[in-house]
Amino acid sequence: MKGLHIHGVSHAYGNNKVLNNVSLTIPTGELVCLLGPSGCGKSTLLRLAAGLETLQCGTIVIDDQTVATKESSLAPEHRHIGLMFQDYALFPHLDIVANVCFGLIGMARDKARARALEMLDQVGMADYAKVYPHTLSGGQQQRIALARALAPEPKLLLLDEPFSGLDTNMRQMIREDTLNVLKQNGVATLMVTHDPEEAMFMADRIKILGRHGRVRQSGSPHDIYYKPNDEFVAGLFGLMNRLGGVVRDGAVETPLGRVGAGGIADGTAVQVLIRPEGIVLSGGNTGSNPGIPVSVSSTHLLGHSSIVSVSPDGNSGDEYFARVHREFSPELEDTIFASIEASDTFVFPLKEDTASAAPIGMAAE
Amino acid sequence: MALGAKRVSLGWLNAWTLGTVAIALIVTLPILAVGYVGLTPSDDIWSHLVSTVLPGYVWTTLQLMALVGVGTFIIGVGSAWVVSTCRFPGKRVFEWAMLLPMAMPAYIIAYVYTDILEYAGPVQAMLREFFGWTTKREYWFPEIRSLGGAASMMTLVLYPYVYLLSRAAFMEQSVCVLEASRVLGRGPWRSFFSVALPLARPAIVIGLSLVLMETLNDFGTVDFFAVGTFTLGIYDVWLNMNNIAGAAQLAGVLLLFVAFLVLSERFGRRKQKFHHTTSKYKALPGYQLTGARAVLATAGCALPVLLGFALPAAVLASYAAIHFDDAANAEVLRHAGNSLLLSTIAATIAVAIGIFMAYAVRLRGEAVLKVMVRLASLGYAVPGSVLAVGIMVSLGAFDNGVDAYMRETFGISTGLLLSGTIAAVTFGYLVRFLALSFGTVEASLGKITPSMDGASRSLGHGTFSTLRRIHLPLIRGSMLTAVMLVFVDCMKELPITVILRPFNFHTLATYVHQFASDEQLGEASLAALAIVGFGVLPVIALSIAISKARPGHGSNTEKEMS
Repeated sequence: MKGLHIHGVSHAYGNNKVLNNVSLTIPTGELVCLLGPSGCGKSTLLRLAAGLETLQCGTIVIDDQTVATKESSLAPEHRHIGLMFQDYALFPHLDIVANVCFGLIGMARDKARARALEMLDQVGMADYAKVYPHTLSGGQQQRIALARALAPEPKLLLLDEPFSGLDTNMRQMIREDTLNVLKQNGVATLMVTHDPEEAMFMADRIKILGRHGRVRQSGSPHDIYYKPNDEFVAGLFGLMNRLGGVVRDGAVETPLGRVGAGGIADGTAVQVLIRPEGIVLSGGNTGSNPGIPVSVSSTHLLGHSSIVSVSPDGNSGDEYFARVHREFSPELEDTIFASIEASDTFVFPLKEDTASAAPIGMAAE
Repeated sequence: MALGAKRVSLGWLNAWTLGTVAIALIVTLPILAVGYVGLTPSDDIWSHLVSTVLPGYVWTTLQLMALVGVGTFIIGVGSAWVVSTCRFPGKRVFEWAMLLPMAMPAYIIAYVYTDILEYAGPVQAMLREFFGWTTKREYWFPEIRSLGGAASMMTLVLYPYVYLLSRAAFMEQSVCVLEASRVLGRGPWRSFFSVALPLARPAIVIGLSLVLMETLNDFGTVDFFAVGTFTLGIYDVWLNMNNIAGAAQLAGVLLLFVAFLVLSERFGRRKQKFHHTTSKYKALPGYQLTGARAVLATAGCALPVLLGFALPAAVLASYAAIHFDDAANAEVLRHAGNSLLLSTIAATIAVAIGIFMAYAVRLRGEAVLKVMVRLASLGYAVPGSVLAVGIMVSLGAFDNGVDAYMRETFGISTGLLLSGTIAAVTFGYLVRFLALSFGTVEASLGKITPSMDGASRSLGHGTFSTLRRIHLPLIRGSMLTAVMLVFVDCMKELPITVILRPFNFHTLATYVHQFASDEQLGEASLAALAIVGFGVLPVIALSIAISKARPGHGSNTEKEMS
């Protein structure tokens, strides 16, 4: 089968285990994102696939050719892969065309040049052919690096945090353009990122790596977001309300209301995670089940939404965060009610080992 | 699971590791040979040496080291402090001019000052004329050909090492602590002794270690002044007593001195890392000096430059003008040709090997490689005379071995293949100056981000192709600097050349040495001037690096150059 196959790869730097029995398959034309906090070994997997790091355990196969085992390894220059670095790594002493031509080995000069210009045209940089890299902006350098990596028609494209060097406004645009170019070229792509939103946007499938290089979950962006395997995966997408409880009669009683336990046995101590957008605030006179009365202690406008912190009435020690659209301006005299959205609420058995869970708050961002 | 034909081994069996190990072994061979011969009991020369000359060598060498150490410390640190923290007339010029004496080999200013200051020289003649003295007994005049004289000569040309390193250290600390010290109520002098000096100590230790290594290396000055140091002793025991084992034993003891210096230098470099809290240069406080203080600062900085460079260069130039004639010039040209040839070959090979080793370490980063590279760089600390003995011993063994083998197998005597050839001299230069080229290239390679390598490799270029198409173009400037540094040091080199050169073969340095030793400095002045001329090149390069590293430019090239 065409594409990339990684079987049972483990890797350690001294005593520090960064990859733990990771397996991965990317068919041609698919884009897989490795998502995880920094230091979890996702870049190491990329470097192993590229041949820049020596494989310690497992096998790596590209297009039916075994390129690395524990015993031997094919040098990076013979793997026919494209690799794009976080810092783009454009060669400063070569102009843009020469940079893109660099990988077109054994091709006639004018043919290579034509191919390079074709790639530059695809990324919208054809006008910059004779320019040197240092005169270009970050976004422009990113496009050149993409064109350079794709020019030799690699069997596999590896992207290492490809958008992290760009400012926020630029990022969205470049992401879209990059995705277009990748789909046009139909190459198997492995991308590494620590930004969940980016992974959701780009990936056909997402693979989540936790601490010590353990795979926590893999699946479509939809599965990852709506059916997280554990609190680590759920916690990747930003701020989380974490509540404790015990399952009784197939449900958990929380200060914000009853939550279905999803098949967890009665009597189990559980952790309930609710996304801020899963706490719905209302004026109280809208439905039959308005929820429980809460009081608002603070509100912060973030732009397209606001984060509101609320405490259940009579229990001001507990504080929960809710996300509402636009600016939140409650009529002060009105009672505010909070209810929970089931699709944004997750229940996991409380583990002995909670050390691997991400800390509460915005830690994943 | 079969891999393709282009399989890559993961072990140490590859061109880079094997090559580096081979280079390191070949380059350390002379040092090992000295140790081996020195430790092999041959005859009772050792006890003879111990009971006669050895204590004298030790004592003289220690005295010389102490005097040069103190001298270069005072001039080097003092001028560095004044130049980097005060504003006074000529400061901008002194920033680079303080380095000029570096261009002057110690033996050359020794010849010049002897010529000026000896009994028949112009200074004493003038004094006699002025005071009406007629004989030597009527007045006292310091004897230049003495331990003190040798120490003065070396101090005058070696202090720039201390100046360079301590100035860099002062510039770095200025931002973070000096102003804090002033704000906390300490005056300039107390700030200097309580803050600046302790912080600069690691850098100063490195500078002094380099100075003392050069002091041990010096042959021309101590030979001319007949100051009985180790270097001279080795030469003496070998050539005059014709005892190579004794020479090697002395060289072994000298290596102990060197080991101490290398350790203190390493210590300094290790400490230095902790002390660099910031890499940002900012405008220095700049105490404005006026009146007598300004005059004192200007004079204090001008004096070492005048005595260490301007005066001797002027004297040589005037001699060269007087003695200018075609016959002599033709001879000088011939020797200059030899010097250029040897230095160019040695510099080119040294830089090529330096690039090979630096790239090997970058590629593979194995612990073995790092040790090997460290070993291969040891030559910079080993005095030329010791290296020469080691090369003589190891090449002799090689030649004899080949000769014996060839006679046994083919009945042909090959005789001495390498001993006493320019190949031996070139090898000596390589061993001694490899560290210089390696260090320069390594620093420059270190500035290229590793993702460049990854990008090139993933685009289908192998290690050699990546080196040729990415790294070499990017480090071209530093490569040229490295070639120049090694080239100039080879031009100035004396002890290795004197001992290893073929019969009747001269370089500019040995030619100057021979004529000046016969008190015919006039005849040799053009050649000496040529050496000084070449010596100015690295000073210019350093000055440019320093002006780039000036506050506002933010780069740190100054330290890499040293």
